[in-house]
Amino acid sequence: MLLEARGIVKAFGAFRAVDGADLEVTEGEIIGLIGPNGAGKSTFFNCLAGDAQPTAGEIRFLGQDVTKAPAEDHARLGMARTFQVPVTFEDMSVAENVMVGAFLRHGHRRDARRVAEEVLDFTGLAALADSPARSLGTPGRKRLEIARALATGPKLLLLDEALAGLTPAEVRLAIELVRRIKARGITIVIVEHIMEVILSLAERAVVFHQGKVIAHGAPRDVVDDPAVVAAYLGHHMKRVRQ
Amino acid sequence: MKQWPLAAIGLVLLLAWPLLAPDVFYQRIGALVLLAAISASAWNLLGGYAGQVSIGHAVYFGAGAYSALVMYTHFGWPPIAGAPIGVAVSCALAVLVGLPTFRLRGHYFSMATIAAAELIRILCTNWKLVGAAVGLMGPPRPRTVADLSFISPLPYYYLFLAVLLILLAATWQMQRSRMGYYLAAIRGGERAAHSLGVPVLRYKLYASLLSAGFTSVTGSLYAVMVGFVDPDSVLGILVSVKMVIVAALGGAGTLFGPLVGAAILIPLEETTNAAFGGSGTGITFIIYGAIIVLIARFEPGGMAELWRRISGWKARRRAA
Repeated sequence: MLLEARGIVKAFGAFRAVDGADLEVTEGEIIGLIGPNGAGKSTFFNCLAGDAQPTAGEIRFLGQDVTKAPAEDHARLGMARTFQVPVTFEDMSVAENVMVGAFLRHGHRRDARRVAEEVLDFTGLAALADSPARSLGTPGRKRLEIARALATGPKLLLLDEALAGLTPAEVRLAIELVRRIKARGITIVIVEHIMEVILSLAERAVVFHQGKVIAHGAPRDVVDDPAVVAAYLGHHMKRVRQ
Repeated sequence: MKQWPLAAIGLVLLLAWPLLAPDVFYQRIGALVLLAAISASAWNLLGGYAGQVSIGHAVYFGAGAYSALVMYTHFGWPPIAGAPIGVAVSCALAVLVGLPTFRLRGHYFSMATIAAAELIRILCTNWKLVGAAVGLMGPPRPRTVADLSFISPLPYYYLFLAVLLILLAATWQMQRSRMGYYLAAIRGGERAAHSLGVPVLRYKLYASLLSAGFTSVTGSLYAVMVGFVDPDSVLGILVSVKMVIVAALGGAGTLFGPLVGAAILIPLEETTNAAFGGSGTGITFIIYGAIIVLIARFEPGGMAELWRRISGWKARRRAA
């Protein structure tokens, strides 16, 4: 078991954004986290990444208890993430952004630069390596988020709506990139509300609703689950299935 | 790097300045420019590179200045021998101030540093050991060369230049290392930095220790040159604000920004002080205020950004 989250609760005052959610991730799979807006996916996701501390529950990564560990410890153990709204280091070049990630496992500048160049090549950003990061548009920034995360040498990659806001052509390119990441042996958890992405990428889907997991299984089966349809998919799914 | 020829010209100019300067007044201004450049460069490590805008660095400046003259007054040491003690006190203070305040972001951090600095200033104003409100005096006339008490500004000029060059070399090394990248990441977005494995609090503390240590050295140098400290002149808020303005004017988070800022601001300040005499202090405040407004409105990146834009514009014109 790569990652195991049990009974995760995240409460803001009396409101429980996440209310007893479980998740198990085994090595080598792509898991999709779906659910309507406000279902608690992102909060749950932040708990997994160490960005927020769960009010209750336990998270184990590679057998270690990381429930209360800060995000940098998660990174060191091999968990990397992207942000829904990209947080680009604007004052740096594209390559320097990636080098920040590479410095986690490479103390020397030359090694960090080499790793960054390799990752930029892999993510198709090599041509932009020395451009200022602030010159990138949304698709470039989302790609840079992924490149930076990959440079930390992760075993598990958490993608938070990495494909939202992209055009259909860009989405296809991004799907292809995620597949190639998986082929490198990196396990992926992806939060997404574009159903096509989940259907074409994920081997398992976990559906959130009001802070709880209401269904999990193969994406095709999950979207047919009456509870899921009732919860939110509704007319949206009809369109996808046609 | 294409900036090296420019840096070399700058270095030659700095070395030759006392020979070029027409009289002692301008030599003294040169020494003051270097002193301001050292303190602003020290501030720049935390405020510029790490983006943690401290407006309380007078604490470290004051610790250095007081250490020098306290050691002289109570133990008869040469004032400069107090510098290591100032550095030790400053590093302890940096941890003490840093641990609670580094959890605050942006303006809240800046406000907390002001509060800490004012607290220390008021404490020192009432503390007999450090001369309370009256302050402390250095040796009235030099006992040995170690007192570093000279009539000519020249020895000070070259002493300050040596310290500045050491500080800039250290900063340049830092900038190219993992620490430089991590500080830039902290400035760019703490959440993202955390997620990439940057131990944010630890690196803020590293930057703070380096910054406080060098600021304290500046304070000691100031005390050695001026030979007098009191709470207002070394712990007042103007001391902190000046470091911020000098660095921001030249370009915060750049290697040479603080030096450029000092080379502009200090002569301006000294000539107005000379022209208006005792009433000049008021003018200083007006200049500071005007500079803050101008930088914030027109060029938040300071002179460095302006230079980058002009040279980029020239390069494009050449290409066209």
